Amino acid sequence: MRRRARTTAIAGCLLLVAASCGDDDSGTGSTNGTQAGTNAPASTDDGQGTVSVAPSSDGTTAGAPTEEALLEAARAAALEAAGGEEIGGSVSLLGVLGGEELDDFLEVLVPFEEATGITVEYEGTRDFGAILQTRVEGGNPPDVVSTPALGQMADLADQGEVVDLNELVGADQLSANFSPSLIETASTGDQVYGIFSTVNLGGLIWYDPNVYDGPTEPESWDALIEWSRDKAAADGVTPWCIGLESGAASGWPAADFIDDILLRQAGPEFHERWWRGEVPWTAPEVKRAYETYGEFATDETLTYGGVTTSLTLNFANGADAMYSDPPQCYLHQQATFMGGIITSNFPELEPGVDLDFFPSPTFNPEFDGIQSVSGEIISVLNETEQSVALARYMATPEAGSLVGATGRWLSPNSQVEAEIYTDPFLRRASEVLQQASGTHYLGNALMPTALVEAFWKSGLDYVENPDDLDQILSGLDEVRVEAYED
Amino acid sequence: MITTRLVQTVAALAALAAIVGLYLKLGGRLVSVLPTRLRSGAAATVWIGPAVLIVAVVLIGPALSTLRLSLFDGDGDRFVGAENYTTAVGDDAIRTSLRNSVLWVVTLPVLSVVVGLAMAVLADRVRYESAVKFVLFLPVAISAVAAGVIWRFMLDYRPPGAPQTGTLNAIVTTIPGVSPVAWLVDRTTNNLALIGATLWTQAGFAMIILSAGLRSIPRELFEAARLDGASEWHLFRHIKLPLLAPTIVVVMTTMAVIALKAFDIVYVMTNGAYETDVLATSMYKQLFSDRHQGRASAIATILMLAVTPIMIYNVRSYRREAIGR
Repeated sequence: MRRRARTTAIAGCLLLVAASCGDDDSGTGSTNGTQAGTNAPASTDDGQGTVSVAPSSDGTTAGAPTEEALLEAARAAALEAAGGEEIGGSVSLLGVLGGEELDDFLEVLVPFEEATGITVEYEGTRDFGAILQTRVEGGNPPDVVSTPALGQMADLADQGEVVDLNELVGADQLSANFSPSLIETASTGDQVYGIFSTVNLGGLIWYDPNVYDGPTEPESWDALIEWSRDKAAADGVTPWCIGLESGAASGWPAADFIDDILLRQAGPEFHERWWRGEVPWTAPEVKRAYETYGEFATDETLTYGGVTTSLTLNFANGADAMYSDPPQCYLHQQATFMGGIITSNFPELEPGVDLDFFPSPTFNPEFDGIQSVSGEIISVLNETEQSVALARYMATPEAGSLVGATGRWLSPNSQVEAEIYTDPFLRRASEVLQQASGTHYLGNALMPTALVEAFWKSGLDYVENPDDLDQILSGLDEVRVEAYED
Repeated sequence: MITTRLVQTVAALAALAAIVGLYLKLGGRLVSVLPTRLRSGAAATVWIGPAVLIVAVVLIGPALSTLRLSLFDGDGDRFVGAENYTTAVGDDAIRTSLRNSVLWVVTLPVLSVVVGLAMAVLADRVRYESAVKFVLFLPVAISAVAAGVIWRFMLDYRPPGAPQTGTLNAIVTTIPGVSPVAWLVDRTTNNLALIGATLWTQAGFAMIILSAGLRSIPRELFEAARLDGASEWHLFRHIKLPLLAPTIVVVMTTMAVIALKAFDIVYVMTNGAYETDVLATSMYKQLFSDRHQGRASAIATILMLAVTPIMIYNVRSYRREAIGR
């Protein structure tokens, strides 16, 4: 069993939680919701666009299935997951989502509630790590959790607090629906502690095709930075915009990209040793990843409003300056979910025409084609009829299709076909993933909480004072040593 | 399910009431049957005993266990002596939070007395006094988290030239040649900005207390002073202020305790970034992120030691006042 600080917890605020801050900022919805099982299926029509092609898990839905067909299939799958009867009752689900993201996630669960009569009581919190930890220690864990904090769940699994999904859902069912690497990522020892529910592709660079005149398939990172410098010198416009502010989780956008850079610059092997705490943060590879990020992020002439703006701008508004008139920047780095955030900020934008992305270029030819992903898993802490049914349902391709149909996340289910994505960004992202020579999970979801938080914060410190990098890294290494001991 | 819970709650409350009633009855009988010389001692034990017991269980017990934990390692398994205290004092982040807490304890009470007193004295002199007080008191009803969110919007920063969405920067930039300030990042303003947001939620409270103190001063004193030719300033300086002194002490000590307990505003507005951590946020991080019970308990102990003299002083002056009346 791998050694890991026994008392760690990952504060449940990675991509998705943080993303929900953006929704809050734009003034939408509650952060905490319970969905009754009585919603008419038609009510989902206004939520999402229609889906043209349904997955053919049983090979019978070939024609031109509608959204209704998807929901119908999902209801059938849910009923089967519940053992064929309406068992009723309720299941408590602790998660990190809020606002529009939560609404979209709950859409996936509506057919489950309708078919089984089970009410899913979702409780969303941005302080997920602390709340889960106290509830587990207090003997009152939620039935099920939905979280990006894999490191914390691995810990709880090692402590015997999480139900092994190999038994609950079945190893066959898991391997039929998920790639071996996703199963492996959410496993500790021979126990599978989580099933992926959503996936984001990281390391993307967003731009406005109408005004961006740089390379969309740059040969290398250096080429892109060179273009940035030339552009800044020629136009006097800062090519990049960055937003690192995200409440308690501020700095994570920087940490995420540094994480991604490290993976693709030093290679997956080093990356894994790094997040497992086996190499010091003072290693030259880590330093180089920070410095690579710093090539644009710490350069006052390359980022919109300079460093102070990067530090104070909420990440959900990070790309707003791209659409001011005239544009104040051309490029913004963020994972797939940013497409949804930008288009909610500017509803008149047409995806693919006014907003597009390219995967960030190669940092090291040796590791060309490697991509980073992040996402959320479902874990069962309390085995009840209802929680088992929910876990089984979430492992079905039918539920996976609904995740993809939200237009917000990639579906982790390997049986879900690319046609499910009506959203052009997700469709492209799924192609990028398929072509990737390897996909690896971002390290900052897998580390112990103390280190994750220090890592996020180091993003702020480094951008503010790049000259202190050595000091920042040795500080992080002290946290690493302490976090992984015992 | 909810009805069974309701029934259980009502039953528990009824049982509690029955126990208390029984205790009172039996206690009274016990005291009355005892010989006279034992009676006063027994009465004290019987009547104060439960209160002492409750305080011991919910207050003294946890305090002692915190003290004990502060001498153990992160998991509470191994005795480490004063190590947590030396680490805490040596740790840059915790030292910063100590420094900031001192800043809070000095600044918040002084500012809230100055602002509260000014508001109380000025509002006292106008006809629409209650309307003014009502408006000034409103922020007290706003939760600290909401206040933090509000003030984050107020203090929002946008680069020079861009439309300023934050109220403060929108005002500041109307002055020609002045560029917007990143209030929450800039080391010279960020702690004061957090204290200012707390002041906004507390000044109304200070005002109400001071205003009540002002009301309790007999009006004849003002009339007599005015007849003797005292100016309004003299009236304030030599009559109102000295007579208000005990009330001011109460406000200051209350604010000092609020400053030491400060957590939510900091957590919401900066979460301690850019050297704005205070003791309570440091403790929270040690406990919930670093999962280090020992160090968190050491910080809690330091906090407790800092609050205790203030509380003792508060109780003493309250007693003096009560005796004086």
